[in-house]
Amino acid sequence: MTLLLDSVRAWCWLLHKDLLREWRAPRGWSGMLLLAVVLAALIEMQLELPRELKRGLVAGLFWLAAFFAGTLALERSFAAERECGCWSALLLYPVAPGTIFLAKLTANFLALCLVDAVLVAAFTIFSDVPLLTRPAAFAGILLLANLGFASVGTLLGALTSGIQQRGSLLVLLLLPLVSPVILSAAQATRLLLADSPGDWQRWAQLLAVFAVVFVSLGTLVFEFLTED
Amino acid sequence: MVLARSTRLAATLFVAALLLVAHVMIFFVAPREVTMGDVQRIVYLHVSVAWCGLAGCLTMGLTGAAFLLRRTLRWDHWSQAAAEIGWLCTTLTLATGSLWAHEAWNTWWTWEPRLTSSLVLWMLFAGCLLVRSSIDDPQRRARISAVLAVLTLADVPLVVMATRWFRGVHPVTPEMDPRMRMVLLVSVLSYTALFAALIIVRRRQLEYAAEVTAEEHHRGIVTAAS
Amino acid sequence: MLRLARFDAPPETDAAPLSVRGLSCALSGRTILRDVSLTITAGEAVAILGANGSGKTTLLKCLTGRLRPNAGEVRWFDRPAHRTPSARHSIGFAGHDVALYPELTARENLVFAARMHGLPDPDRIADEALRRVGLERHAGQFAGRLSRGMQQRVAIARAVIHAPPIVILDEPFTSLDADGRQWLEDWLNGQRIRNRTLVWTSHDDAQTRRLATRQLELHNGDLIDLAHPLPANRRRCA
Repeated sequence: MTLLLDSVRAWCWLLHKDLLREWRAPRGWSGMLLLAVVLAALIEMQLELPRELKRGLVAGLFWLAAFFAGTLALERSFAAERECGCWSALLLYPVAPGTIFLAKLTANFLALCLVDAVLVAAFTIFSDVPLLTRPAAFAGILLLANLGFASVGTLLGALTSGIQQRGSLLVLLLLPLVSPVILSAAQATRLLLADSPGDWQRWAQLLAVFAVVFVSLGTLVFEFLTED
Repeated sequence: MVLARSTRLAATLFVAALLLVAHVMIFFVAPREVTMGDVQRIVYLHVSVAWCGLAGCLTMGLTGAAFLLRRTLRWDHWSQAAAEIGWLCTTLTLATGSLWAHEAWNTWWTWEPRLTSSLVLWMLFAGCLLVRSSIDDPQRRARISAVLAVLTLADVPLVVMATRWFRGVHPVTPEMDPRMRMVLLVSVLSYTALFAALIIVRRRQLEYAAEVTAEEHHRGIVTAAS
Repeated sequence: MLRLARFDAPPETDAAPLSVRGLSCALSGRTILRDVSLTITAGEAVAILGANGSGKTTLLKCLTGRLRPNAGEVRWFDRPAHRTPSARHSIGFAGHDVALYPELTARENLVFAARMHGLPDPDRIADEALRRVGLERHAGQFAGRLSRGMQQRVAIARAVIHAPPIVILDEPFTSLDADGRQWLEDWLNGQRIRNRTLVWTSHDDAQTRRLATRQLELHNGDLIDLAHPLPANRRRCA
C-alpha cells in the first residue's frame, strides 16, 4: 500500500512538473492549438456542401485534424526532456519506469483534450455542424479516443526521441498504429451526429479495449525504452 | 542453428517440390470459376501470402518479446528476418489483391476490410523496417525494434476488428468447391514452407553479417593495440 | 515492468559501495569497455582519467545503472545496480550536462528532486541544499538564466540532496572558471571529510593527484590503476 502511495505521489509531482514547464514556456501546446485552428479552417474552406451532407464528412475530418495537431504535443513531450539533458537525470530517480510513463501519458492526454476542445469550437463555428448534439456520449468518445491515442503516442514519443529523424518517424509509426482509434472515433462521431445514433456504443467499446490494452502494455514495456 | 549442407539441400528440394505441386494444382486441378474464369486462380496466391504476412507479424512480435526477455541478438535476427519477409508477403498481398479487385470490380483498390487491414499491416511492417535502418548500435536497435514489434502484434487484432466493423462485413467462410478448398490448403501449406525457409535463410545471413562485423571490430582493436 | 519504487536506505553492511566485475560494453560494434573490474571502498575518492572518447562517460553510465553492459555486472553495496529503482537512493549523479529544467527556478528543481526521492519536507531540504552550495540568494532565479558555474552548483546540490553514500560526477570541472573550479575542489574535499564515496572523471592529471585517493585511467577499453603502472605490461585494476 505504501509503495502504491509513493508511486501515486511520484506520478503527481511528475505531472505537476510537466504542466508547470508547459505553462511557463508553452512551446508544444501553443503550436498544437494553433495548428488545430488552422486545420479546421482549411478543411472547412474546401467543403462547400449543405450542412446535412457535411455531417458525415466532418466526423472523419475532425479526427484527422485532432490526430495531426495532437502529434505535435506527443513529439514535444520527450524532446523537451532530452533537449535540456534532463531525461537521463529523470531516470536516475528511484521511480519505476511505469510511473514515469503514466505521468507522461496523463500530460499528453490532457494536451489532446485541449486540442479536442479547440477543434470542437472551431468546427462548430466554421462548419455549422452541431458536434455537441449528444454531448455526454461525444465527451465519452473523446476521452476514450484520447486515452488510446495518448498511450501509443507516449510510447512512440519515447521510442523515437533518441533517433535523429524522430519527427517524421513518429507520424509514420503513429498513424497505422492508431488507425483503429481514428476509425472507431470517426464512426462513433458520425453515428452521434446522425438523426438516430445507432450502434455507437460498439465503437466506444473498441476504443475502451484499445485504451486498456495499450495503457497496460505501455506500463509494462516502457522500461525497455528508458535504457541508453 | 547451422544445418549440414545435405540437410539444406534436402529442405530446399522439399520446398521447391511443394511449390511445384501447389502451382500444378492451381493451374490444372482447381476447377475454373464460373464468374471470373481463370483470373480467380489468383486467390490461391493471394490468400497464401496474406496468411504468411500475418505469420510474419506474429513471428516478429513473439521473437521481439523473446529478445526483451533474453537479450540475445539471435532473437533479434529472427525478428528482423520475420519483419522483412512479412513485409514482402504483405506487399504481394496488396498487389494480388489489387489485381483481383481490378478483375472483379473494375477498380484497382477497394476499402474491403481484408485489403484495408493488409494495407495497415504493410505500413506497420514498413515502420518497423524504417526504425531499424535509423539506429546503428545493434543492441539498441534490437531493443527499440523489439518494443515496436510487440506493439505491432498487439495492434493487429484491433486493426482487423475495426476494419471489419467499419465496412459492416462479418467474416463468412466463402462457399468453395471441395477441390478448390483442397488446392487452397496445399497452396497455403507450400507458401508457409517457403516463408519458413526464407526466414531461416535470412536469419542465418544476419547472424553471419553480425559475426563478420564483430570480427572486423576485434581486428581493428588488436591492430591498434599492437 | 510496473515495479513500485520505495525508498531503501543503503544497507548497513561492510560490502563495498561500488564493485564492478568483468564489465564489457560495446556500442555500434566498437568495444568501449573490456573486462573492467573495480572495487571502490567506502570513503574513497576515485578519479578516472582518459582521453576524449576513451569511454569514461560509458563507464559512468554503467556505474549508475543507466547502461546495461554486454557482460559483467555492477553492484552497489552488493546489490545489483541495473534497473532496481529503489536502490537508486544509494547514488547521486551529476553529469557535465547540468540537466536542470530551465523553466523551473533553482529551488523548484531541488524541490522536485527531493520529492522524487520521497524526502519529507522537500521545501526545507531544498533551501538547506541551496544554502550549502552558497546559492540561497539565487533560489528564485530560473535555472536557465543562471551562469554555468551556478548551474553546476545546483546540479551538485541536487546530486546530494538525498544524502547518498556514493556520488558520481561526470567531468564536473568542465566549463568552470577559476572560482568555480576552486569551489568544486573545496566541495570535493568536504565530501571526503564526510566519508562519502566519490567517483569522477577528469582530464586534469595534476588536479586529480591533489584531490583523489586513487587515480585510474581508461585506455583502449582497459581500466588501469595509475598507482601501479608497469612500463611493459600495465596491470589492470582489482
